[in-house]
Amino acid sequence: MSSKNNHRRDGQIPQPCSHLADFRSRNGHKPFRALQECLRAKPLGRAAIRRDPDEVPRCSACSHSATHRLYACVACASVFCHSSQSSHAAIHAESITPGHEIAVDVDRAELFCCACGDQVYDRDFDAAVVLAQTAASTLGGSTLPPVPPPENLRKRRRVDYRPWTPDPRERFLMGRGSSPLQIGDEDPSCLPWGLRGLNNLGNTCFMNSVLQALLHTPPLRNYFLSDRHNRYLCQQKNAAGHDISNKKNLRPCLACEMDAIFSAVFSGDRRPYSPANFLYSWWLHAANLASYQQQDAHEFFISMLDGIHEKVEKDQFKPQRQGSGDCCIAHRVFSGILRSDVTCTACGFTSTTYDPCVDISLDLEPNQKGSAKIASSKSLHACNGERDSCGISTLVGCLDRYTRPERLGSDQKFFCQQCQVRQESLKQMSIRKLPLVFCFHIKRFEHSVTRNMSKKVDRYLQFPFSLDMAPFLSSSILRSRFGNRIFAFDDDEPDTSNELSSEFELFAVVTHTGRLDAGHYVTYLRLSNQWYKCDDAWITQVSENIVRAAQGYMMFYVQKMLYYKASEKLLSS
Amino acid sequence: MSAPNDDNASAHSQLSSHFFAGLLDSIIVDVASECHRIARLGLDRNLEEEEEELRLSTQARVMVADPSNSGEANSKYVVDIFGQTHPAIANEIFDCMNCGRAIMAGRFAPHLEKCMGKGRKARLKTTRSSTAAQNRYSRSSSVSAYSPYSNSHSVNQAVNGTPGVTGEDYTECTFEET
Repeated sequence: MSSKNNHRRDGQIPQPCSHLADFRSRNGHKPFRALQECLRAKPLGRAAIRRDPDEVPRCSACSHSATHRLYACVACASVFCHSSQSSHAAIHAESITPGHEIAVDVDRAELFCCACGDQVYDRDFDAAVVLAQTAASTLGGSTLPPVPPPENLRKRRRVDYRPWTPDPRERFLMGRGSSPLQIGDEDPSCLPWGLRGLNNLGNTCFMNSVLQALLHTPPLRNYFLSDRHNRYLCQQKNAAGHDISNKKNLRPCLACEMDAIFSAVFSGDRRPYSPANFLYSWWLHAANLASYQQQDAHEFFISMLDGIHEKVEKDQFKPQRQGSGDCCIAHRVFSGILRSDVTCTACGFTSTTYDPCVDISLDLEPNQKGSAKIASSKSLHACNGERDSCGISTLVGCLDRYTRPERLGSDQKFFCQQCQVRQESLKQMSIRKLPLVFCFHIKRFEHSVTRNMSKKVDRYLQFPFSLDMAPFLSSSILRSRFGNRIFAFDDDEPDTSNELSSEFELFAVVTHTGRLDAGHYVTYLRLSNQWYKCDDAWITQVSENIVRAAQGYMMFYVQKMLYYKASEKLLSS
Repeated sequence: MSAPNDDNASAHSQLSSHFFAGLLDSIIVDVASECHRIARLGLDRNLEEEEEELRLSTQARVMVADPSNSGEANSKYVVDIFGQTHPAIANEIFDCMNCGRAIMAGRFAPHLEKCMGKGRKARLKTTRSSTAAQNRYSRSSSVSAYSPYSNSHSVNQAVNGTPGVTGEDYTECTFEET
């Protein structure tokens, strides 16, 4: 692997060797397209080159068919063997120069330059292979899978960021309508804004931990601190339609409660804050979860996002498309789209569905024998398995497992439209649209319905501080399913934001220590590359090592680069 | 053990080794070809970064597990970064937004649960004997028995079999003496 191409974009072809370049300039793409007729692709299998479907290729020179790798010369279609010891293909290339250097591996449909002795790549050839593969497995033999991506992904035009500063008139208005925060007599070591302890109101550390993470979720924080949801205006609107005297009839607005917490936490007051109003409003919203018992932090997170969404949605008149994130700030920040492909193992027909998601819940792999010992610093090549050679579970490994093709059991046969019967099938998940902020939830609490008991999985999970989600995108997964060919799959829209930025940075970790029924949640926050531990009312500074060694339960990652979309509507001033 | 048999056996084993070697070669080249494509097209994951993260986390776990380190992980808090200390149970006092009483922060959730009539304990309590019900309702007149969620358990509360609703009704009922 050339070291200078450390971060080459997906699917960029390397420079062709001189022989391939010559061949192309002489013959164009015709020979490659002509090969299409000889491409035989099995459903779920890879493409091979055969003149007749039943042909057994042999080397024209020595008649070997089984032991040596066979290559067909693209120019004259004669087949020759090639190995490092003896190569009739190379001899052929040398004997009829120029023009016969390029051959194709009959079993793998890969181009090979016999003169350079190396595998080479060509866009048109790959396109031909992909077309053959999709034709073999699609309904009615049409050339491309007819799966329209969800409507809301017709991208809006991306615009450049324009920095803004207030002009004197605006400055005056701002000054008149606000009062500056006092820094007070804190020492100038300048502790970050927004760091404030939250009082435990009685087994509410599950709520405090998630609130701390949300208070420092950059897009969410910016939204509320920019006064995008003004609780006074919202309550006025609310009250307008109801009898104000009976306060209890007012529907609670969790967004207003969040706004209040943001104001309190970023006010500069460092004494711990009691999120009592929030708890009350949340219990009004989530009646089934309201009890003085330790709750699950993840359940609370989902319930909260749902609460913000529900209230906002009821106020709007037109229903929003799912996953578009246009409905409310909660979805704007956290909502992504998952793609699920179910492939018939008999004919290769694939059925695709898209579902929105606000987080991803990952399974830790089932218990294996042997404990995860702390490994030596030399770790072997991290393989694709969930556990690397040291036996440690990793977040990336969990994601690998999540996006791996999974064979559905014979009791879950899927009705194949092409075969018209129920067939065994493969299911594969991938990420179609990345959210602004990813929340990864590790399923550490196992509930067994049959035995009516629950237990906690304490196993350590390694999570990176920087995460590249590119390998888990639908475009990558789809590409690898077709043998990593260079081809513009219909999913790859040129304007897709995924292509530019799939890199994420960790900013908050919610951890759980202790037993299932007697445990404690704590959040670690990363502010200006410094880590802080938020343990209810106690905010302390900790080293990076503590965080890396902690037992992660929910990890929050934010996109490294954010882009602005052209606004569809003008904001009223 | 005649000579031709030996020859046959060795020829067989030679042939099978030959085929096995061919199959093995084929598999190896398959994998190599696949990896070659992934590497050349820049589709491979940045393994160096992943390995670095793994190394850092392993190192971190070793350092945290080492008792000679400052014991940051499990030490009792002395002061937080703002120089404050906090009691085990939060002692800020504020008014309950449901009933108006002054409650201590650390005991707010259990209070609110009963106050709003939610939670297992609150519901269970209502099915106890009438004495308990009598004691509760006669003790504090400021506690409103009415809440938006009273319907679910008001039937249980009814001492005399009347479907009770508001606190006013109860003060007029005669309770059973025990």
